[in-house]
Amino acid sequence: MMPFTATDFLQALAAGILVGGAYALMCIGLGIIFGSMRVINFAQGDFLMLGMYAAFYLTTGFGVLAFLGPYGGPIVAAFLAGPLVFALGWVLHRFIVARVTGAGVAQIEGAGAYGQIIVTLGISLILQNGGLILFGSTPVGIRTPMSRQSWEIGDVLLNQARVVSFLVAVALAAGVYLFLSHTRLGKGLRAAADNPQAAIYMGIDVERAHRIAWSLGVGITAIAGGLVATFQTFQPYSGFDFVIVMYAGVVLGGLGSNFGAFWGGLLIGIVQQMSTLILPYQLQNTAIFVVFLLIIFLRPQGMFGRLSERT
Amino acid sequence: MRTRAEANRQLWAILGFAVAVVALSLVLRNRYYELVLTQVLLWAVLSLAWNLLSGYSGYFSFGHAVFWGLGSYTVALGMIHLDLTPWITIPFCAIVGALAGALIGYPTFRLRGHYFALAMLAYPLAILYVFQWLGYQEVALPMKRESPILYMQFEDQRVYIALALGLLVAALLISLWVENSRFGMALLAIKQNEPAAEAAGIDTWRWKMLALMLSGALAAVAGGLYGVVLLVVTPETVFGMLVSAQALILALFGGVGSLWGPVIGAMVLVPLAEGLNAELGDVLPGIQGVVYGVAIIAIILLAPEGVYWRVLDRLSRRAPSASEPPRAGAAVVTSPAPRPAINVARPLALAGTGGDLLVLRDITLSFGGLRALDGVDLVVPAGGLYGIIGPNGAGKTTLFNVINGFLAPDRGAISFAGQSITGLRPSQVCRRGIGRTFQVVRAFPRMTVLENVIVGAYVGAADDATARRMALTALDRVGLGGRADTLAGGLTTRELRLMELARALAPQPRLVLLDETLAGLGHEDLDGILGVIRQVRADGITILIIEHTMHAMVQLVDHFTVLDHGRLIAAGRPDDIVRDPSVIEAYLGKKWVDRMALTAQ
Amino acid sequence: MTKHPTRRGVTAGLALGTLAIPGLGIAAARAQAKPIKIALIAPLSGPWARQGQLMRMGAEMALEEINQKGGIQKLGGAKLELVVADAGDSTEKAKNAAQRLLSQEPDLVGGTGAWLSSFTLSVTEVTERAQLPWLTLSYSDAITNRGFKFVFQTSPTADHQAAETIPTVLKLAEAATGKRPKTIGIIQDNTASPVSFGKQLRDGGLDKAGLKAVVDQVFTPPLSDATPLVDKVRSAKPDFLMLLTSAMPDCKLILEKLDEFKLGKGKIPLIGNGAPFGSPELLKTIGPELLEGLLFSVADWPMKGQEEFIERFKKRTGEPWLTQDSLTAYGDVWIFKEALERAGAADKLKVAEAIRGLNLTEGPAAACFPGPIKFDEKGRRVDVPMIFAQWQKGVPITVYPTDRAQAEPFWLKA
Repeated sequence: MMPFTATDFLQALAAGILVGGAYALMCIGLGIIFGSMRVINFAQGDFLMLGMYAAFYLTTGFGVLAFLGPYGGPIVAAFLAGPLVFALGWVLHRFIVARVTGAGVAQIEGAGAYGQIIVTLGISLILQNGGLILFGSTPVGIRTPMSRQSWEIGDVLLNQARVVSFLVAVALAAGVYLFLSHTRLGKGLRAAADNPQAAIYMGIDVERAHRIAWSLGVGITAIAGGLVATFQTFQPYSGFDFVIVMYAGVVLGGLGSNFGAFWGGLLIGIVQQMSTLILPYQLQNTAIFVVFLLIIFLRPQGMFGRLSERT
Repeated sequence: MRTRAEANRQLWAILGFAVAVVALSLVLRNRYYELVLTQVLLWAVLSLAWNLLSGYSGYFSFGHAVFWGLGSYTVALGMIHLDLTPWITIPFCAIVGALAGALIGYPTFRLRGHYFALAMLAYPLAILYVFQWLGYQEVALPMKRESPILYMQFEDQRVYIALALGLLVAALLISLWVENSRFGMALLAIKQNEPAAEAAGIDTWRWKMLALMLSGALAAVAGGLYGVVLLVVTPETVFGMLVSAQALILALFGGVGSLWGPVIGAMVLVPLAEGLNAELGDVLPGIQGVVYGVAIIAIILLAPEGVYWRVLDRLSRRAPSASEPPRAGAAVVTSPAPRPAINVARPLALAGTGGDLLVLRDITLSFGGLRALDGVDLVVPAGGLYGIIGPNGAGKTTLFNVINGFLAPDRGAISFAGQSITGLRPSQVCRRGIGRTFQVVRAFPRMTVLENVIVGAYVGAADDATARRMALTALDRVGLGGRADTLAGGLTTRELRLMELARALAPQPRLVLLDETLAGLGHEDLDGILGVIRQVRADGITILIIEHTMHAMVQLVDHFTVLDHGRLIAAGRPDDIVRDPSVIEAYLGKKWVDRMALTAQ
Repeated sequence: MTKHPTRRGVTAGLALGTLAIPGLGIAAARAQAKPIKIALIAPLSGPWARQGQLMRMGAEMALEEINQKGGIQKLGGAKLELVVADAGDSTEKAKNAAQRLLSQEPDLVGGTGAWLSSFTLSVTEVTERAQLPWLTLSYSDAITNRGFKFVFQTSPTADHQAAETIPTVLKLAEAATGKRPKTIGIIQDNTASPVSFGKQLRDGGLDKAGLKAVVDQVFTPPLSDATPLVDKVRSAKPDFLMLLTSAMPDCKLILEKLDEFKLGKGKIPLIGNGAPFGSPELLKTIGPELLEGLLFSVADWPMKGQEEFIERFKKRTGEPWLTQDSLTAYGDVWIFKEALERAGAADKLKVAEAIRGLNLTEGPAAACFPGPIKFDEKGRRVDVPMIFAQWQKGVPITVYPTDRAQAEPFWLKA
């Protein structure tokens, strides 16, 4: 005897997929950075938080997008958060991150490769606490009627804000995929990721490729943040809640595979929501980690990764 | 590995440090500073524990909070449910931590690099939710008014300082011991090149597990004492990301893989963060975090490897020779001196001569659809110098990887000296007496040449002194005796090849596998190495060498096997092989065979 | 390793040098002796910074008022001084803050705050040993279950809140609908206070009230999506739903999801517990129409008789209304004022003794709390009625107990 009905099952599945859409997009952002630079970026969640605030102020604070109404405004704002955070990422990489990452550093075993962990942790601290000073401590959210309306399919209700953000996430993910696989710039990024040394010999400016990857990665995650902001409230420390989800998703999908990061994020969402059908609600995040561990033990390269890092 | 004199100096440094902390605790006379000092010491222990695994072996753990938290909860729950005093439960934490280390390491050491680091992240977080689910949101250690001392509840904060200091000194001594034993050498070798370490006979699995268990035990004990000091244990405080991050920040900041790095990190960062909280936290909340973030970034940009290494580099640059003590072996041994007779330990090479040493039967291995080895039969007679050639991608290195255990064949059997070695781990194969070198030299770049070779010698040596002696002998044998103290990172290609050869020879194997040892060398270098190889052979060691250029091989070996597309296509004496049409075809393509046939006509 | 010869003393010297850094600034302690110092320890940074800042506002207002009105009369008009420390985001930081204040300010007579119950637990481990009287709004039972003598909870414990809330709700429901609810749904997070609240319900509280729990879900905050939770409510259709969430973002997700699933606006009557249900930021993020009629029980909320103070608070802080965090911090400082007057000395032991002997039913301190200000031997207040507040026209106002209510409650019917 199943402890849940078919409707419960479908509803949880739908919730998982919709939650997973936003996760998938943030995972792609992190995956681009992780995959091309092999950098563990602890500040990724805080760039997500910046994306939330950027979207928030664009929608409400300055009234810039008020003319687009409560439906269009937040989505456009989420998109605009991307370039803003991209620019900030560019500056941070130029002046700080590049000095502890990149092909030159990675070569020297054990040298700067460690520095990057501290640097990203430092950036994380600065963004969180700087955010507290700038934005204040009061939790805020973007008010849109979509977050409490749904489309109904039979007994299954699909939250509008989440459906829209899911669709946007999927579209953006597809765009990123096409960009990376079909443009010259994208191919250069991938070459720099696969083998920085060889890429240098091929005449690719690896540092520039890394800068683009880094900025693109934080920018995409910021857009995901802007989308999340349409249905969740947040404060300057909220980004941290997503860091683990992002890493789990990226590793699940397989390092270096943007395609994989997408599915990894989606799977995390599904596991998180569907585990509640059979497990206590409190253990939904434990379920994520159990699935995470299971997958990397059974398939250490992740769902879509290659075996390159094993030996 | 340190000499005894250096180890002694470290002991004095530890003693000096302990005395300084005691002195400091006596002059502070302020409970707040005493509390912060206690925390500094405890975090230093956690960071040292982390360093023991991650600093030495290079297996980064993002999840050391799991041990810390289990320690804290062991003490807290032991006291609440069983009325056990921390005097009993804190030592017991060592068992809990070691056990957790074993349970975690067993599956997790299948992973490497970032995968390992991130998998470790999952453990404390998964457990965090479980403890919340179990209802242990807030566990307060009950106040024992009747028998406080029995329950480790002291009015005088300095007692906690003493306890934490005792723990830290123990952690330092353990680290020092590890650094100076083959344990530490094994971990360093793993960090720098795990496959090479495994091939050199180091049972990497065992050492990694031991390191994690020891690290877990230390971290859990420190976590237990932390629970006693804090008196309130919550899942977020002890299993949270911040704890795991703290463990690695302190070590990274101070200097990874050094004895004092984690201590420096704790001594600087813990008071810095607390001082900023105290001074700025109520003025402009958040500013303390910003300043702290800026500070750690600034310092790490100035000292990317950590403060300790940076300071040492500065000091040793200022006084280059004085700080570098002459090492025992270095002065005595001079290069290409006449080779001393080898009679250290049991010379494996002389255990048996004559007959077939290595026999491969029907070795087959596929990667996905690609058949890398296809029914390879090979018999290597004892005492011979046997060559395998083949074009790129023929499966030569794969064959070596199968012989020395990196890869298990899908089918077929390998026997060595009459015993099956199919499916053994590389370190076990090495122990049976098969050494190897690599196509791309796998050195341990941050170890000296001598240390590199010592790592290889451990397999054949009963104790560290013997290993050292064997390593020196092997170095002389290849003519690198004079370079014993150079860092491997600074060697030329030829020297690296020789050093790797010495590492393979150090435990005195019966068979060495040389993987393209001659590739990319100029004429003079080549002659030198050929001489060394011939000499090794003359000492009775069987050699199996692979090359893709025939040129040098023809002068060297007495027997050839040609491998192409995973299959043996020809075997025989060098002169015969070079004329074999199938060999020419494999190398140059069908067109050439036809042309040769034409010219012959 | 040999390549890096170690120099003994280098590290130790470096280490000891840096340890002294935080000492430099602190050593220059403020050179005032006259004012009477009270401590406030609250999270001013980290995820709970908002609550800490609200507490600070309340405490500072009380301080100003008292000082303007002439300070402590019994002590020659001595002024009060507030010493603030940031409890940050961990119990370790909270404990350090407490130890630091005690070391730097040996003449403290008392303190208030810590907010998160685990912070309060660790702060009071320090203050208890220093015999410093400590008031707190944290309501985890554990705080006063340790046999401490210098800790006073101004809020009723979670246990007590649970025991008080349910019967009152049933009464209200029966009066409004003529039917006594038979089934209940419980959705709660697993932070300490909701856990002890929920425990009381499950360990007999529900049976006593004749209720059956048809939904009983505990989640770990922060919630990523409330769909599966609310889906369970939709399937089980309890007569009413009890929400025990300690963070505003989770309240928001659940309330919106209930509305989305057509269970809101009285379809399934909703009872909340805790101050987040009355926070201005909740109104800002979900708007008034979803909140109208939402009833929640809370340890403390502005009541009749405080109108003047509420107006001043709004004006001074720019906050749209007064909430529990500011209110109790304000009240706590007033309690210290009363205790100091009675103790007649700026001495922490005497102040503690005076607090133990308090029985206030009027005055600014008493006005801040429901029921008399009187503590039992555990440090808990006695005879405390539960406050209910209800969202009426976009503002959460007190509707129960009747004698202190600002408006009549109504039972939301679909």
